Amino acid sequence: MAAGAPSPRGCRDWHATRRGLLGRARDVVPVPADALESLDAFARGGGLTRRNLLERGVGLWIGCSAVASLSTRGVLEAAAAQAADAPDATILVSLYLDGGNDGLNTLVPLADPRYQPLRARLGVAPESTLALPDAPGFGWHPSLTGLKQLYDAGKVAVMPAVDFQDADQSHFNSAAYWRTGIVGPSRETTGWLGRALDATGARDNPLQAISVDHSPDPVLASRRAPTATVHDPSSFDFWIRGAWDREGFVRAYREAATGATDSPALAAARSTYRDAFLVQDRLRPLKVDDEHPLPPAPVPYPDSDLGTGLQNLARMLGAGFGTRVAALSIGGFDTHDDQAPDHADLLSDVGDSLWAWQADLAARGLSGRVLTLVWSEFGRRPQENDSAGSDHGAGGLVMLVGDRANGGIRTEFPGLARLDGDDNLLVTTEFRTVYATLLESWLGVEAARVLPGIDAARLPLVR
Amino acid sequence: MSARDRAMVARLLWRAGFGGRPEEIAELARGGLDTAVGRLLSPRGPALAGRPARVEGAALDSLNAYGHDVLWWLDRAVRTRHHLVERMTLNWHDHFATTNAEVGDNRLMLAQYWTLRRGALGSFRQLARAMTRDRAMQRFLSLSNSHRDAPNENYARELLELFTLGVNNGYGERDVREAARALTGFTYDWDTHRFGFDPERHDGGIKRILGRRGRFTPLDVVDIAVDHPAHAPYLCRKLWGYFTPRPCPPRELAGLVRLYREAGTGVRPVLGRILTNRAVYADLEAPDMVKPPFVYLAGMLRLTRTRIVDDQWRWRLSQMGQVPFYPPNVSGWEGGLAWLSTSALRARFDAATAVLGEAVEDGSIARGQTAGDALRRAYSATGRPWVSGRGRRALADFATRSVAGRDEDWEVEHYLPERQRVLRHLLLAGPDAQVC
Repeated sequence: MAAGAPSPRGCRDWHATRRGLLGRARDVVPVPADALESLDAFARGGGLTRRNLLERGVGLWIGCSAVASLSTRGVLEAAAAQAADAPDATILVSLYLDGGNDGLNTLVPLADPRYQPLRARLGVAPESTLALPDAPGFGWHPSLTGLKQLYDAGKVAVMPAVDFQDADQSHFNSAAYWRTGIVGPSRETTGWLGRALDATGARDNPLQAISVDHSPDPVLASRRAPTATVHDPSSFDFWIRGAWDREGFVRAYREAATGATDSPALAAARSTYRDAFLVQDRLRPLKVDDEHPLPPAPVPYPDSDLGTGLQNLARMLGAGFGTRVAALSIGGFDTHDDQAPDHADLLSDVGDSLWAWQADLAARGLSGRVLTLVWSEFGRRPQENDSAGSDHGAGGLVMLVGDRANGGIRTEFPGLARLDGDDNLLVTTEFRTVYATLLESWLGVEAARVLPGIDAARLPLVR
Repeated sequence: MSARDRAMVARLLWRAGFGGRPEEIAELARGGLDTAVGRLLSPRGPALAGRPARVEGAALDSLNAYGHDVLWWLDRAVRTRHHLVERMTLNWHDHFATTNAEVGDNRLMLAQYWTLRRGALGSFRQLARAMTRDRAMQRFLSLSNSHRDAPNENYARELLELFTLGVNNGYGERDVREAARALTGFTYDWDTHRFGFDPERHDGGIKRILGRRGRFTPLDVVDIAVDHPAHAPYLCRKLWGYFTPRPCPPRELAGLVRLYREAGTGVRPVLGRILTNRAVYADLEAPDMVKPPFVYLAGMLRLTRTRIVDDQWRWRLSQMGQVPFYPPNVSGWEGGLAWLSTSALRARFDAATAVLGEAVEDGSIARGQTAGDALRRAYSATGRPWVSGRGRRALADFATRSVAGRDEDWEVEHYLPERQRVLRHLLLAGPDAQVC
């Protein structure tokens, strides 16, 4: 916990008792809502202060500065050495569903008698849902055909009602807590995966962490470890019209990008340029042009930003750049109005993209090394609103996808009979417990090095 | 007029506008910084210079043609003579961030642009009231058709969290819910596309918002939030942050808050005080703000006198990470150093390639052009941007090295223009060009 943040002691104590139960059971058994203790005991964590807001507005992306002193060749060799040293290194991919995914309409609690009354207009018809063979009380949203196939093959660990106690209904606060891995006010500007790299990653390989986007993903923000942002590896080139002497202008740019300065902005412009040229050098084998067409994927990806992003990432992972973590996100989940058609489209994109992604990874021989964590900043309120949509809630749905994911429902669903003081789903599992499990069981990083004050709770997520 | 005045006005025009050409800077700097700021606060004469952009030979169709809404705004930024008004319109768009990806109606988005622009330097209270009635906003944050029986909290939450008070700054969940009740009653008819207000759908009961109690109506909520003691410091600090990344000293903030309140939530005097503060002009030789992509691009087009003639800038802005009318979410753009990533920087590099186009054809420079001549010409063609010592050395080295030993006729014909192209490119897109 950052200094000054109240320590939610009651929360931990409460967790410890619940955890005992979770630890013994192979499959999690829903506990009657009456058994849940009052949540009032938790000190309200508060949120980000104005000062934080200001500081965040300024931004603190210092990720790339560590490569300043290395030559291109040094970096290439270091990256190759890292990949060669650990050809079986595990990879964790963060997929953020931006806006607050409606977990209750993703994994539908069919057996809960409160579901249909709360969702009179928005409820998914039970007969239309896709069955979970081992959990008859739940059904997948009908758009999730791709995800259902993965689940049936035992490749999806599903975690309903994951959040933090006394959940915050601000996108801004909640997303910041999930991204930093720290609940409550803090000045932390790094992401939890960025800190994992700071702890154990390379100092010389930006491609160890890839944001598949045009801007860096905050979960990968690090203090020292260099990171890369690559939207499309097919065309990551620097080109000036009518400049035949490529080496000439690249050298001039590199010269302009050296040197120390007191200005953080100018320092970042220089170091990011240096990194961008390094990334260009490394991505050259993936360039697509007339002579080198895009190799077909084993299964066609959906023609969507997510499908394209995952396909791009699969190519980069396949090339062996020593990548350990990657991140991407899709938006549109803040479904306050006319949710049904939009949410159906979003979920089919998610399910089908993940299905193609897993097939692609398998074809590349990578599926045993990659786990994908699908998360959102919160779930949505059980009671639908009057605009045929849903408002911000708590207790989001988290999923872990991959060959080594421990398929099944892995956290407790608290039911809808009893809700919290804001009429939201009760939270049964803190998201940091999910993170701690992945850090230790998958990335091989001691959780306490990344998550201050983390307790001993872990979940059976990896096999 | 001193060189320092010129350097300060150059920075002023990047931070409070979209960059200035040397003659604009010289003209504005003539009376010193205070005069220049005064002219930005109360601009006179036509708002735009030159003729409107034409794409593929035809006038922009900002209401119907894909991407033309964005080009229309870009063209205004490129041609603006009312620097601060235009820049504050963009800042308010970031503050009251509304995205056409959700609204899906260019007409409503353009109307919102004018609402923001009209209120850009005026009373914040009036602007916040206007935004509450703004149709794009009403649709974006689910204010229209929020019904007394099930109030939609979307707008109420963002009004307190982002628009007036700051996250968790003096309000609680209960205030959000009560404000949402007071904000019910707006209507939108999907068949006739008409917006309205239906008293039958408004919750006329008593609400308790931020410690006040009454039968509040929608605009009362705005007033209650703006009158809350936490509002003025929040807004003044946010305004400060648009012009300098340095923290606002507590005494300075107190002064801004006093001015803001004395002026009845007037923005103009607050901006005047910020823009004459030393913090904005500190370290002229180590600029500490990253140019937002839209400012960077508009500035390149301004300084090179490049006209918008096609629609490539729409997707280039997207790759750089800032498309006006399409902020990523209701809290606007992350900004600051987050603008810089390997991917976004490559897009900025490419944008300079595109701005240069086919300028400086092979064979257009005669044998014998010296490195100094080449540099002078490149500076002049790019609006004489600020360059660091490191950048000057890289330029000078390249100016010499790139043509050394290239004496054959065909080499002179190609490599002298190539040198010119690369020098201009470095001036437009090198590390120094990313900051202001």
